[in-house]
Amino acid sequence: MDFIQEGFVQAYALLVSLDPATYSAIGATIRASTLAMAASLLLGIPLGYVLGYFDFLLKKQLRIIVDTLLSLPTVFIGLVIYALLTRNGPLGEAGLLFTIPGIAIGQAILSLPIIIALTATSVEASDRNLHITLMSLGANRKQIAISTLWEVRLGILAAAVTATGRVLTEVGISLMVGGNIKWHTRTITTAIALETSKGEFGMGIALGLVLLLIALTVNILLAGLRRRI
Amino acid sequence: MYHIQNVDHYYGTKLVLSIEDVSIPEAAIIGLIGPNGSGKSTLLKLMGFLEEPTYGSIFFKGRKTGPFTSDTRFKVTLLPQEPYLMQRNVFENVAYGLKIRGDIKRLKSRVEDALTQVGLTPESFSRRRWSALSGGEAQRVALAARLVLKPEVLLLDEPTANVDTGSARLIRKASLKARDEWGTTLVVATHDWQWLFETCDSVLHLLHGRLFKGGLGCAVYGPWKFGWEGFLQKELEDGQVLVAPTPEEGKQVAILDPSRLKIVLSSKSPLLKWKIGSLNGFVTRLFLESNGQTVQTAIKIAELVVTIRIQREQVELLKLYPGKEVGIQYEPQEIEWL
Repeated sequence: MDFIQEGFVQAYALLVSLDPATYSAIGATIRASTLAMAASLLLGIPLGYVLGYFDFLLKKQLRIIVDTLLSLPTVFIGLVIYALLTRNGPLGEAGLLFTIPGIAIGQAILSLPIIIALTATSVEASDRNLHITLMSLGANRKQIAISTLWEVRLGILAAAVTATGRVLTEVGISLMVGGNIKWHTRTITTAIALETSKGEFGMGIALGLVLLLIALTVNILLAGLRRRI
Repeated sequence: MYHIQNVDHYYGTKLVLSIEDVSIPEAAIIGLIGPNGSGKSTLLKLMGFLEEPTYGSIFFKGRKTGPFTSDTRFKVTLLPQEPYLMQRNVFENVAYGLKIRGDIKRLKSRVEDALTQVGLTPESFSRRRWSALSGGEAQRVALAARLVLKPEVLLLDEPTANVDTGSARLIRKASLKARDEWGTTLVVATHDWQWLFETCDSVLHLLHGRLFKGGLGCAVYGPWKFGWEGFLQKELEDGQVLVAPTPEEGKQVAILDPSRLKIVLSSKSPLLKWKIGSLNGFVTRLFLESNGQTVQTAIKIAELVVTIRIQREQVELLKLYPGKEVGIQYEPQEIEWL
């Protein structure tokens, strides 16, 4: 069990000594997850609003599909994105395989159903008098959408926290789409997988702790945001 | 201001409102009364253009209109029974309507004026969060958010139902000021007699989604038993029997039209007491109307309450007072069905 203790010491040493490989993995992780979260929030919030607010044909079926996509295995997403981005694949020309944007596409697909489903739930659960109030104060459809989303902002923030956690900690997509290339697409999770396969448990735990530290920082920032809004 | 024509409104397959023809003049104060589920809130939503009637038309200032039209969006506003305050402070709640109109000239002073109008001091309330308000304060903030818009029509759904008497008085005062100062048309769904008989120009009575034109009708629900030929009878809780003609198919609720009821002194004779076309009850309330001549008299007969408008002199003649036993006379064949 010494390797756990060793992990803590190493994690501290890696961060304090500004170890270039560790910081490269931290950078790749943050770049990929930031891109993925930006894309999934931009797409997911409006789609979640539509799914939660309007009644339309096949809405229930669509909701079941979105809920099912919450269970998407990351290796499956990795496989599909790999197949699409590989040189002979339909999107091979884009040259996104083994790149950070490539990983981000996969991670955005992973987090999109979370944002859509939780935003839709928040909108559905909003007070029925909200719509009447906004409309009776003269809001048009666009203003109703924006104001409703603002009213359920804490629910959307919870969706963002959940999705960020999933994106930061996934390994299947980063490994398959990113290829775990040192100094380039190696993220913290793929580095942990590599160190573990080499028997370097202490290093693996150190990187795991670094990842937890990043997650803690993100959540502290979001908690601060939550208090402000 | 409004002309509602042949409106039938359904929720799913259920008909919740059916109005043939009603007009509401400009700057009028109209009371709307009816039991729960009678369609008051639905009518207010249709008049507020928050919903489109399933069938029929609503004309606003002579033009047929509906939700999200420029004709009505900034002119008509509804205060729902349970107002929703947005998760922002009081100032932002009141300013919301002006901001979405892009009308932010003298925003601060206008919001403060509206708060003052509903009896809230801007210094203490402007920065207060929505969650730090009592029920009455929240209702008044919601009203201020409507009054700041200086609407042409203000629709109020039970504005004083869930608030203390002080808040109720302020809400009434502020709403009336809107009518007096800006000519705002007020339509108020309420059970508050002060609103209905002291303030309103006229009262519309809704029963089962239909307007009852004979004043404050009293609905009598089943079960009904077969009586003598062509008539049904309803046994009231105290054993008295109300007799009504057999209704047309599909009609289930009998209406006692107060304009056809007569108040008489209660008979002491047990034989006369149980006479057909006669019921006994006691006065629960007397309310002098704003004209100073007529008195709304509420009489409780077992589980029923009928409200009959009588001349002031008649109150003196019959020596009516709350608690006095009286008789009610009616003609069974004149009872209508809804």
